[in-house]
Amino acid sequence: MALRSLERNTTQPEGTVDSPEYVLAEAYERFAADRIAISFSGAEDVVLIELATRITDEVRVFSLDTGRLHPETYRFIERVREHYGIEIELLSPDHREVEDLVRRKGLFSFYQDGHQECCAIRKIQPLRRKLAGLDAWITGQRRDQGVTRSDVPTEQDDAVFGSASHPIIKYNPLAGWTSGDVWTFIRSRDIPYNPLHDKGFASIGCEPCTRPIGPHDHERNGRWWWESPIEKECGLHTQNVRPVRIVG
Amino acid sequence: MTITFVKKILANGEPCPKCRDVEERLARDGVASRIDSVLIADERDPDSPGLRIAAELGVTRAPFFIVENEDETIVYTVYFKFLREVLRTPADAVSEARELLAVHPDLDRI
Repeated sequence: MALRSLERNTTQPEGTVDSPEYVLAEAYERFAADRIAISFSGAEDVVLIELATRITDEVRVFSLDTGRLHPETYRFIERVREHYGIEIELLSPDHREVEDLVRRKGLFSFYQDGHQECCAIRKIQPLRRKLAGLDAWITGQRRDQGVTRSDVPTEQDDAVFGSASHPIIKYNPLAGWTSGDVWTFIRSRDIPYNPLHDKGFASIGCEPCTRPIGPHDHERNGRWWWESPIEKECGLHTQNVRPVRIVG
Repeated sequence: MTITFVKKILANGEPCPKCRDVEERLARDGVASRIDSVLIADERDPDSPGLRIAAELGVTRAPFFIVENEDETIVYTVYFKFLREVLRTPADAVSEARELLAVHPDLDRI
């Protein structure tokens, strides 16, 4: 894959191995263009597309079109497609699974029994189908996004979707960035962004499960606010002292 | 290959609901006999075998399965993934995806 030389003028010092450009360049050098793709949520992770298109012309991007996104997000995805001149593959859920869920539980079951079933059908299943054809994927996950992401590395074996017969690498180039870093970058480069951010949305997902938050709220408060932030019932408080592979 | 199932007992003496659910599924799926041993992680007893092995392996959720092969030890915290990959038994894809989200809550904002 033809890679461009890197510009290193973002928040990490030049040459830092954890800088997003470095992580992306390593990723695109390691994998063929058709075996690696960016997962774009239609929010501030547009930064990944900006950085990747500076490194290579062969950027593959996919988005999980749950069918429940805000109109602003659909328009933003289209704007990004035009701005960067790239294809964005929209992945839809299996209509049979959606129809079965809606028939059994209606359109808003997540308010009663949690968002996992709906997300499993509308997001995880299409993602799993997509990743079956890739060797690596790139996400906008950051450590400052909450307790469940506090230890996200810039590169990891994807134990969730990979397997011994089909290992998958997951890159999180923005892991070390804060929300402030992302927005400084977006504003300084005049990068297009989802207008919902101007309306108080910090984290953007499906319309029924996303809401604006106050200036001092954590962004997690804008998603699934009716649920407790972490399920503690199954927790065990332990520390690893023996090398072992935990695969999910 | 040796398979160990680790399940949790809550401080009130009740089994954790998820552990009970997985135990019922093992029976329903006809694979309970494939489990070589069961360890209890008892919240009332820090020295219980399940809590000790969880600490040793660095596992932070229950239930889980320890699959020991000659050259490797692998821990599965998602029942349906364990069912599919280790026991080679077809798993319901949506149920597996739902369990993945429950075990890996960081996935929900992808």
